[in-house]
Amino acid sequence: MAQAQTENLEDLLVAIAQHQDRQAFVKLFDASAPRLKAFAMQCGANSNDAEELVQECMLTVWRKAHTFKRKNGTAITWLYTIVRNKRIDFARKGRYDTVLSDDLWNDEVGEALENDVSSDLEADVARTLLKALPDEQRQIVFKVYFEGKSHSEIAADLDLPLGTIKSRLRLAMKKLDTLAKEQMTWLIIILTMNF
Amino acid sequence: MANYHPNNEFLMSFAAGQLSNSLGIMIACHLEQCEQCRRQTSKYEALGGEILASIESQKVSPDLISQIMDKIDHQADSKPDTMPTAAKNYDIPRPLRRFVPDNFDDLKWSGMSRNIREYTIDIDDSEYTAKFYKIKAGKELPQHTHEGSEFTMVMAGSFSDRTCHYHRGDFILADEQTVHQPRASMDGDCICFAVMDAPLKMTGFFGRMLNPFMR
Repeated sequence: MAQAQTENLEDLLVAIAQHQDRQAFVKLFDASAPRLKAFAMQCGANSNDAEELVQECMLTVWRKAHTFKRKNGTAITWLYTIVRNKRIDFARKGRYDTVLSDDLWNDEVGEALENDVSSDLEADVARTLLKALPDEQRQIVFKVYFEGKSHSEIAADLDLPLGTIKSRLRLAMKKLDTLAKEQMTWLIIILTMNF
Repeated sequence: MANYHPNNEFLMSFAAGQLSNSLGIMIACHLEQCEQCRRQTSKYEALGGEILASIESQKVSPDLISQIMDKIDHQADSKPDTMPTAAKNYDIPRPLRRFVPDNFDDLKWSGMSRNIREYTIDIDDSEYTAKFYKIKAGKELPQHTHEGSEFTMVMAGSFSDRTCHYHRGDFILADEQTVHQPRASMDGDCICFAVMDAPLKMTGFFGRMLNPFMR
């Protein structure tokens, strides 16, 4: 993994998009498939379904690598949105009366957010947050991402009052916003010093 | 531009892909029109990315990559057609388009009363019911509270409720504590997209009379 990480995921995606580079694709697979599988299993899939999902994800990576835009986010975030979407469609397989990920997210447009924060910075903030969160808050954030439980279901799971769940989640979100603001301040200081 | 927004809990659940069908569609409709919430949502997607990066890997079967390469080789067209169909003159936001006709005028509205029409949107959802409401210009809905929660997004026109005025794109959450009586503004019919987990409970005199027809 450490080896694969040195090979920048962003560069691999660009190589796939521009040259249909199979070597890059295999490298990307090696670096990300085990995590995609782990993600699917955290969401409740068994090993077989998880691998089917990984397969769907990787086929999408191959077909849609051109929709990846550095300015919109990092490669890992892009991969995350793919596994998130595939999980939704997997669960609703073949049923068009229900909501599919295409209804919710329009990936072809790839509309650029007029982002005042660079995507790398955004990823830094998210990483710092995950590390800095107390376990009790991280646990709830993970439950939101993996299990999609309502706050009251999480409360029942953890045998805690609903208010506690809500306040822990809010604290985590507030921390994310605060970190983002702090990072912005640093960025501005750095930029001003350069001029 | 929208002035009333879904809170961060909704945006995070949306970014996690974990909202119930109707509510997911509604948030997607709001995001189409609200850059601020799009930006916030992208933060939660970045968080999702970091979660993906931080979890413990699972070994994949050794032949998985060859299966995938095989599929790539045998795909009839490995290149997607990327151009979306030419823009028609839609009233309906993109996330709803598979579920309803192109324009509000083409909907089969049914009457709750002369001034209030409704259309039930056929979205498969075990938790919520999704509807459009159309309130005639200057008219109001009977005063009501909610047994559960009701999420409303303004699609066209605008309405007022006590002290607040809501425009296109605004997202409003009402729950058991909210008593309200929305009134469409004079300058046009107001169309709202509503998602609710329990039928409205009318509280006024006419409200109670109306209630049986609401189900």
